[in-house]
Parts: sequence; C-alpha cells; structure tokens
Amino acid sequence: MIGPIVRKEILENFLSLRLVLSLILVIIVFAISGFVFVRKYEQQVQDYSKDTNHSLAYFQGHAERLYWIATLRHQFYRKPKALTLCAEGFEKSIPNCFSFNAFSRDYPQFKGRTNALLFSFNDVDWVFIISLFLSFAALIFAYNSCCGEKESGTLRLLLAGATPRHKVLLGKYLALMFIVGVPLLLGILVNLSIVTLSKDVAFGARAWAKILSIIVLSLLYLSVFVLLGMLISSRTSRSVNSIVILLFLWVGLVILVPSSGRIVAKTLRKIPTQAEMNRKIAEMTDQWLENLLAGKYGQNAGNTSRNIEESNPPGRARAFTALTEQNNKIIDEHMNQIINQVAIGRRYTRISPTEIYRQASETITGTGIGRFSDLRRQIRRYQDDLKDYVRSRDAEDPNSLHLLFDEMNAAEMWRTISHNPVDFDTVPKFQEHDLALGQSLKLAIWDIGLLVLFNLVFFAAAYVSFLRYDVR
Amino acid sequence: MIWKIAKKEFLLNLMTFKFVVGMILSVVLMSVFMPVLVSDYQQSLKDYNENVAANEAELTKVKVYKNITPTVYRPPNVLSVFSGGVDNQLDRSEKIDIFGGSNIILEAEGYNSLLSVFPALEVTLIFKIVMSILTLLIAYDVISGEREQGTLKLILSNTAVRYKVLLGKLVAGLMTLIMPVTASFILGLLILLSSNMISLTGIQWFRIALMYFASLVFVTAMFNLALLLSCLCRSSATSLVFGLFLWLFLAAILPNSSAYIASQLKPIESDEEFSGKVKTVTDQLDSEINELNKDVKKDGSEDATDAPGAFGHTYYRLCNKSEMDYNRKKYSVMEPVKIKYFDKILGVKEVHLNDLVKQKQFADKLAGSSPIVLYENLMSVLAGTDFGNYKCFKNNVRTYGNEVADYIRFKTENFASTSYFTPCKEGDYERIIEIYYKPFLEAKDKEKKAELYKATIARYEQMVKETPPLNLQDMPKFSYRPQSIGDTLRQAIPKLGFLIIAGILFFSLSYVAFLRYDVR
Repeated sequence: MIGPIVRKEILENFLSLRLVLSLILVIIVFAISGFVFVRKYEQQVQDYSKDTNHSLAYFQGHAERLYWIATLRHQFYRKPKALTLCAEGFEKSIPNCFSFNAFSRDYPQFKGRTNALLFSFNDVDWVFIISLFLSFAALIFAYNSCCGEKESGTLRLLLAGATPRHKVLLGKYLALMFIVGVPLLLGILVNLSIVTLSKDVAFGARAWAKILSIIVLSLLYLSVFVLLGMLISSRTSRSVNSIVILLFLWVGLVILVPSSGRIVAKTLRKIPTQAEMNRKIAEMTDQWLENLLAGKYGQNAGNTSRNIEESNPPGRARAFTALTEQNNKIIDEHMNQIINQVAIGRRYTRISPTEIYRQASETITGTGIGRFSDLRRQIRRYQDDLKDYVRSRDAEDPNSLHLLFDEMNAAEMWRTISHNPVDFDTVPKFQEHDLALGQSLKLAIWDIGLLVLFNLVFFAAAYVSFLRYDVR
Repeated sequence: MIWKIAKKEFLLNLMTFKFVVGMILSVVLMSVFMPVLVSDYQQSLKDYNENVAANEAELTKVKVYKNITPTVYRPPNVLSVFSGGVDNQLDRSEKIDIFGGSNIILEAEGYNSLLSVFPALEVTLIFKIVMSILTLLIAYDVISGEREQGTLKLILSNTAVRYKVLLGKLVAGLMTLIMPVTASFILGLLILLSSNMISLTGIQWFRIALMYFASLVFVTAMFNLALLLSCLCRSSATSLVFGLFLWLFLAAILPNSSAYIASQLKPIESDEEFSGKVKTVTDQLDSEINELNKDVKKDGSEDATDAPGAFGHTYYRLCNKSEMDYNRKKYSVMEPVKIKYFDKILGVKEVHLNDLVKQKQFADKLAGSSPIVLYENLMSVLAGTDFGNYKCFKNNVRTYGNEVADYIRFKTENFASTSYFTPCKEGDYERIIEIYYKPFLEAKDKEKKAELYKATIARYEQMVKETPPLNLQDMPKFSYRPQSIGDTLRQAIPKLGFLIIAGILFFSLSYVAFLRYDVR
C-alpha cells in the first residue's frame, strides 16, 4: 500500500511550483558555487605552490649543515583542499601559515588573500546550500503534507479505506524524501560536473568516498526537516498555521541558534588577547633571563664567550630548553583557549540540527577548525621526528657536544649540534596527512548519532501526532 | 473608504495566528538577546576604559621623548547592539609610533577570528529575518486570499475602486507591522537604558529614531513586495511559495554569493605581495640609513647604560659625551629620513586597505538589489558601525601620529636634543664613574670589590628610580572623532532613498497587477 501513496505524493509534487522553483534555484546556486570554486581553488593552488616552493627552497638553501636543519624556522602553508567544495568550514578565517623548527613553534598566522571585511560571509559551498536552502525547501514541501490533505478533504477518504495510518505517514515521508532528494542530487551533479571538468581539481578515491558520505549525511539532515514539517503538519489543522510555525522554527534552528554561538562563547569563556599572550611571553622571558643570570641553570650558563671554558653549554642547553618549552606552552595554551572558546559555542549550538550537520560535514571532509587542531598535532609530531633525525645524525659526529636546543649561535659557536653536511633528501619533510574515511566517520559519529536521534524523535512524534490526528 | 478597508484588515490581522506568533517571537527574541548584547557592550566599554587608563599611566613614566609610543583606542559604539556592521571585527587600537606608521591589521586585536564560524547576532538580524518573514506572511494572501474566499469580488462589486482597496490593505498592513517593530524598539531601548553604564546622547537618540524610521521603510518595502506577489498570483499558496523562495534568495543566498563572487572577481593582492611592496620601501630606507651611517662615525669610546622605560622600551640613563654626541648626530640625521620613509610605507598600506574596501564594496554592490541587504547596510551606517567610521578612526590616528611627531620634533629641536634619547646631562656619566665606579675598579680586596659593586648597582637603580618623568602636559591628546551626523546622512540618504523607491515601485507594480486582476 505504501507504493501507491508514495507514487501519488511524488506525482502531485512533481507538478507543483515549489519543486520547479527549488530545482531552478538549487541548480543555479550549485552551478555558481562550482564555477566560483574552480576559480578560487586555482588561485589557492597557485598561491600555495608559490609559497610552499619558496619555503622549501629556503629550507633547502639553508640545509647544508645539521644544526641549521634543527634550528632554522621554516614555514608551512595549509594546503588548499578540493573537498572545501563540500564544506569550506570557514577556513578563510582560520590561520593558515605555521612557522616552526625542531624545537619551537610560533603563533600561527594569516597569509594569502584574506579580507577581514568578508569574514562574516559564508562561502557558498554544499553545506551552505543544503543547510540553508534545501532545509527551507524541505519544510515548504512538507508543511501541508497532512493538514493540506485534511483541508482538501482527501485525508479522510484515504483513511476511510483499509490503509493504516503508519503506512500513510511512511508513504508520505518516502515521497517527500524523494522530492527533496531530486534537487539535491541534481544540484550536486551539476556542481561536480563543473568542478571535475576543470583541470585543476581532481578527486581521489578517498575524496569520492567522502563526497558520498556527505551526500548521505545531507539526506539525513534534510530528513530531519521533512519529519519536522510532517510533525507540525500533523499537529495543526490549517496549512497556514503550519507554515507560520515551521518558518519561525526554521529561523530559530537555522539562523538564530547558530548566530547565538558567538555571543555564548564570548560570554562563557573569556580569553586573553594575543597582545596579552605576547606580554606574558615577554614577562616569562625576563624572569627566565634573571634566572639564567642568577645561575639557576648552572654557573656561567649566561655566558656566550667563544671560549668554551668560560661558558657552560650543558647549562645553556638546560636554560634554552626550559625557555623553548615555556614559550611553546604559552602559545599552545592560548591556541587551545581560542579553540575551546569556539568549541563551547559549538557545543551549545548543537541543539540545532544545522550546526550538527555543519560540524559533521567539516569532520568528514577534514576542513575547518578540526583540521586546524589536527594540523597543530601533526606539526608537533613532525617536530619530534625532525628532532629524532637530528639526534641520530648528530650522534654520528664525534666533534659535536650533542646538546640539542634552540640557539643557533650556540650551535655555531660551540658545535652543540653537529656541523656535518646533510643530504636534504634524507631530511623528513612535513606533509599534512588527511584522515581516512573510517577515521573521519569515527570522529563524526556523535554528530551523525545526534542527527539520527533527531530523525527518530521527530518521526516518533509525527507518528503519535498523526495517530491522534482528527482528519475531519 | 480606505480607512474602512484598513480597519477591517487591521482587525483581522490582529486576530491571526501568524501575527500573534510573530509579535511574541520578536518580543521574546529582543528580551533574550538584548541583555546579552548590552552586557557584551559593557564588557567592551570596561576593557576600553581600562586600556585608556593603562596607557595614560604609562605616559606618566616616559623619561625620554624617543619612548613616546602610546596606544590609542577606538571606543565601543553603544549603537552596535542594534547593528554591529563591521565594527566588532575590526581592530580597536593602534600604536602611535612615529616610525611604525599606521598598521593594516583589520582584524580586531582580541577578536577570535575562529568565532567567524558563527554568524553575528544583533538586533538588525532579528529585524531583517523575523520582521521580513512576518511581513511576508501578513501580505502574501491579501489579494489572492480574498479572491479564494470570494470576498474580493464582493468588495469590488460595490463602489470601492481598486486603488482604494489596495491602499487600504497597505495601510492595514503597515498598522499591523508597526506594532512589533515599535514594541521591539521600545523593549530594546528599555533594556539598553536599564544599564547604569549607558546613557545616550542627543545625536544617538536621533540615530535611533532614524533606525526606527528605516525599519518602518524596510517593512513597507517588503510588504509591497509580498503584495505584488499576491496581486500576481491567483492562489495564495503560489504567492506564499514564490514569496518564501524570493525571501530566502534575498536574505541569505544573494549576500553570501555576492561576497563569494566578489572575492574571485575582484581579487586582492596576497599578503606576500603586499609585504614585498613594504619590504621594497624598507630596503630603500635601510640603504639610505647605511649611507648616512657612514657620515656619523663612532670614535670608539662611546659608553651608555640601559634602563627600563615606558611602553616596554629602554633608554640610556647614563651616557658619556662621546655616546651623546654620536646619538645626537645620528638621530638628528636619521629620524627625519625614517619618518619620510614610513610615510611612504603608510601610502602602500593605504592602497592595500583600499583594495580590501573595494572588494567589500563590490560585494555590497552585487547584493545591493536585495532590500534586505540594503536595509542591513543602512542600519550599520546609521548606527555608525560601517567601514566609514573605522576609516575615520584610521584618519584620526594618522593625524594624531603627525601631531605627536611634530610635538617630539618641537621638544627635541628636530631630534637633535639629548632629551630625545637620554635624561643624562653632560658630565653626569663622568661624575658617577668618578664617584662610584672608579673606587670599585681600584679596589684590590675581593670582598671590598664585591661590596662596592653592590653599592654601585644600588646607586644606579636608585638613580633610575629617581629619574623624573617628562612633563607631557602639553602633549596633544587623542580624540576619536566619528563620522558627523551630516556625513552619516549623506551616506544614509541614498540607501534610504533606494528603499523608499523600491517600496513605491513594488506598490505601483502591485497596482498595475491588481488593475488587471481577475477577481472571479
């Protein structure tokens, strides 16, 4: 029995103005998104290649000696990702340049073509189109699914037969999902056709798998709105009341709740400014200098005489290791505070399925704040690898003092780190690792679970409401 | 006749579910969000006051003119609770360094850029979203709905002429919508004024009145747009669907797409390219300084002692004659050159800043056909949170920087006076060496030597402590002069004009459509 209901609903909606409008608008917006993305991505790849080659050439140019490899700061730029097509994750407002050596990390910076005046605008990616436009369309399709039939008198005719209510509801749900799915899939198809025809964008097998996951996730998200539409439709007897409630609910869930995240985050978690962090570093460095001069790290550790007898390289190594750890800690703590502030806002805004969907999409595509945090972790791991490499090569040099710490002058003057030449090809290079689909899905499991929960709750509520619905 | 229709429509609207929900929602949203926005403003105000006080305190510690590098702050704007514009995300302070020039950093210091993942929440958001939807819901069936019910033909079968019917409906719609708009504004103002820290000036009241007026113009334009759709469609469901998709396009898709497209069609130079341009100028400066350095030679007997100064700088507390002569000559020759070059750097930075602004303006232009975007921009202009006010701050900073530079020039005889870099007077150094340092050097006994060393250090620290600060009473004070109300009006009137024209145009088109409307 479900089949005929689904067919009837689909045919009815196929002839409707709302489907035509949705289709036209969705395809236009997806097409614009595709064209602009290709252009943007080309520019990003060009800039990235230029910056990275420049950075690598600098590193290579100064990599003749082992101590340079250890102490020279080089810059790593975040690689443009083709999957930002699906979920850009506000990467434009997240620092993209990381400067570090084997020991120290600097505060991440913005490099490239960023315009703070446009920070507040969304990139028109899939998540934006689906979370905003198609969720809206889903409500427009569903708002009169029950009450509309009641108004036209067809619902009582339908239920006068042997059809049980749950089958009617299920039939309507499946039909609506199909109707919502058509513009979604067509839009994505148009978008992907434009993007894949470009010579600069190429997706690997992993990326395709992630794209597929995003499509499934999008259907799960849209299903929430379809079910919400059906729930409200089965709670109201007039379709005009249903649309009023749904519109305001949509505004609340899609616009107001995500917007309140910033103010909630700022209110619940105050964080020091970057200038305050710099002041703290300066104060702690002054304190460290006092300790150094007072001999806390050993007699003569503060001396930098060329005559090694008048100095204390092991003491200086202890001192500089302490300084490096201290500065790294302050910078890491500040970055963590910044990320935690956003995380608080995001936790709160998870009461909206839109935010859940957005965050899950970012996790799956590996973009946004999650990527930023992951990059920081990867850089820390790389620093350890680089240090291990320097340590192992340094151990081969009998003339080295084998004291690995972040002071180029000391390394040059006292040979605390080996001066031996290095084969640049053997030096570990930093390479950003993308998470496999399984790992990404594992990270997004809570968000996906929440979306499923929303679906179940709304379906159960719609079912109960429909069971008690007065069809007269 | 118009009044009769308006009265009937108005009473009908008041009893509708949509009006009740819209009214309750706007009041609830205002009651929930306004206190949070006010508290955020109060925090910004507190931070601003603390920063200004700290800066003033630091100025009282300045011992040499070279160390005068105060920071000036942009006060938070109380009207930003109504419309945040770009105010909160742009830098609120700038260091006045006659050689550092104005910085280009647009991002507010202390503003967590990662928070951009959340759209900004402000009163304008509630108006542009909730009010526009409510307007749409009230207007979408004013004609098509009456046709469906069959009441339209009854009205028109009488002596009522069509334009009067349409005007009556417009008046009724506006009477209905004026209620949530007014209630939201009054509630918002009550919450704002209930805070002890906030008091509004006459100009601010005027701006709020203009914002209220702009909101009414906006809902009128949106009402007329929905009225047009209602006159064009025979069924109210069709009119609603058209209206809702149009609303979504105008409110969300157009502004975001415009920014997205603008960032590609009007690209800005990369940070690296910009830094390269700045570096070219600084390289020229370095080479000129190197040339000048050749003329200012040291004789090798220079000596000076550092002491901690204001604003994180150090200064020479003591320096011998040779050091004094060297520095006097060096600064008098080099500082004017540095100022000249930093003016050039400022020019490069300004060009870059203008490019950023042009990109934003291009995005605004692309999205300008949307009354919702127009209203949003108009509100930020009226609230004084648009880019124009930020530019004013930048200009104020530049002017102040020049005033400070002139002041220092005047006080230090064009950087040639020793007071520019040291409070030490001629002979001080030699006298101190004679009294304290010489006995220490001459002492043979180790213990005695250590004792004398300690005493010398203690004396020096005492001297640093007792060094009187400069009297900076006559130093120019920074005053932030935001855009005048005249300038604001000059910017706001075209936008307001467009909104009014859009409203009139939509109404005229509605009238034409209604004249041809088949009421059966």
